[in-house]
Amino acid sequence: MGTKTLERVSAMPAPTWHSLKMNDATVEIDEALAPARDIAIETDAELGGADAFDAALDAAQADWDAEFGDAPVLANYEDEQANRLGGLALSEYQKGVDAAEASKSLRAMYEQGMGEEAARWLAEMAGERTSLNVAASKACSASVLVRGIDASVNTAALDVIVDDGATLELAITVDSPVPGYGITGTTLRIFAGKNAHVTVRRVQTLDDSWTDLDDMGLFLSNGATIEIFQTVLGAGHTYTGLAGDLRGKGSTANVTTHYLGHGEQELDFNYVLRHHGRKTTCNLYANGVLAGESSKVLRGTIDLIRGCKGAQGQETDNVLLVDEAVKNKTVPTILCNEDDVAGNHGATIGHIREEQLFYLASRGLSREDAEGMFVSATLEDAWLNAANEDAKQAIVRLGNTIVEDFEEAYL
Amino acid sequence: MSEALLSIRGLSAGVDDKQILDTVNLEVPAGEVHVLMGPNGAGKSTLGHVVMGEPTYEMTSGTIEFDGQDITELSPDKRSRAGLFLSFQAPVEIPGVPLTSFLRAIISGREGIDMKRKEFRKRVRALADELEMDRVYLDRELGVGFSGGEKKKVEMLQLLLLQPKLAILDETDSGLDVDALSVVSHGMEAYQRQCNGTLLVITHNTRILEHLDVDRVHVMVKGRVVAEGDASMIADIDANGFEQFEQAASAE
Repeated sequence: MGTKTLERVSAMPAPTWHSLKMNDATVEIDEALAPARDIAIETDAELGGADAFDAALDAAQADWDAEFGDAPVLANYEDEQANRLGGLALSEYQKGVDAAEASKSLRAMYEQGMGEEAARWLAEMAGERTSLNVAASKACSASVLVRGIDASVNTAALDVIVDDGATLELAITVDSPVPGYGITGTTLRIFAGKNAHVTVRRVQTLDDSWTDLDDMGLFLSNGATIEIFQTVLGAGHTYTGLAGDLRGKGSTANVTTHYLGHGEQELDFNYVLRHHGRKTTCNLYANGVLAGESSKVLRGTIDLIRGCKGAQGQETDNVLLVDEAVKNKTVPTILCNEDDVAGNHGATIGHIREEQLFYLASRGLSREDAEGMFVSATLEDAWLNAANEDAKQAIVRLGNTIVEDFEEAYL
Repeated sequence: MSEALLSIRGLSAGVDDKQILDTVNLEVPAGEVHVLMGPNGAGKSTLGHVVMGEPTYEMTSGTIEFDGQDITELSPDKRSRAGLFLSFQAPVEIPGVPLTSFLRAIISGREGIDMKRKEFRKRVRALADELEMDRVYLDRELGVGFSGGEKKKVEMLQLLLLQPKLAILDETDSGLDVDALSVVSHGMEAYQRQCNGTLLVITHNTRILEHLDVDRVHVMVKGRVVAEGDASMIADIDANGFEQFEQAASAE
């Protein structure tokens, strides 16, 4: 058995310098790992198959065609003034966006955060897709438990279709309750109908011998809100990719990520949120601690596409580096092709300052104690904010392996 | 061997090539309340930080003995664990660390103070109530978004939780309104009462001393302790300021 390689996973839409080696990720997969397909789902939503998402997207296409089908495509090459001067020098990214916009196909423009190949592989490993369907104006909840199974790939392919005015609270826990080695993952396609509200809380607490792949794609109709809370506390290798199409007027996507890197863990995050609709809003907020020799890459792209007047995008990554050996790369990117918009980005990356260290020392904490406190505090905060008992137990299990007497001392 | 809990002898210190403290001698016996006063820039806060072991400052001469042990070469965390406490004039913020997590960490492994989680939570809540501090602050990130008064209350909370042998309070009264000042004064009294505590209060304002039974006053000017006396000096300083001491120091 050899190794399968997924190339160009979680690629940035508009690449940065190649020498930075952060435009995308490469995922190595041991082909000896067998699909496990052991996923536990509890929900009061209606369960269905793969067709529901496609049907929802087709319905959204019909609505969109009725409103915008005859409208001219507002693409870069349509700039008449530039055309008279010989045309714009477009980047590969701009050409790609123009082609997608010209297709007027919501399906062609819909994307998954980790990219097509990774999403397809995750779905293949999962076997069949399961859909959680929430009828218009209903409120439902669901919990999904993905456990690491030794020598296996255990993934879930989930579609979430929340109809107009409906609400869904979805909690996903990814844990490794027994020792082993393998891959876990989820690939989600989330459709939020008009004024629908979807909340997803995903907590990952794998031991270091595991790799986790977290892939999501979002579609938002008029007035819809999707809130994603990702808590990444474990796994030797973590890949998180999220892409969203803020298609509907006044739709909102809020993505909050808390992460903890320790030991030799490698964390990779990719976010792409594309504003098509007017007065759309997105907030990407990441906050984490890197300890030991861990490393992290975060790519955050907010794409303000021509026509999304009144849109607002905000992205922030605050990372605390508590050891000298950690590595962090953060690229917050705002792509803007529309005048009447607001896009803000920022990153705060820093070590513990000397005055902070002295303050902690004056309270009896050595540098080593202080580093341990940041790790414990991240775990404790995750426990306090856990969505359900599965997540709490998973955090306690991992916490006890990282921090001595974690449960007894901190919870 | 002195009977003093804290004994500073011939201490000179500075930062880079600039000398701030010049041959300071100062003793604080156990159970007493001492006040270190002086004009702005005299070096009072520097002395507090040097005693706590802040690495920013370089000690060029002298020794510091605490509780019968020479702590001159000890790191700040070990000085803390030996029973020394410094309340900061401007406590730092530690984003990402809830106050409760921080408090749990600072008592961890301390003999006689470390406690089980239920007892700890009960104790911390009781202290917050005693200091008229909203309990919601306990789950907030340390110092982040706290007012000046709340930050000083957190310092007092730590003082009462850690029960050190000696507390150096560096300008704890600065920037506080009347209500917050009253709470801080209450914290100092509680520390003395509950722990038989020893205090070295650094201030240039006599107001915070009204509620304290002061044993001795030390006056610092230009990095030197230029005068010492009993509590009656406070009224004198209140009436006449530090000019007399500054003039005497200049004359030397």
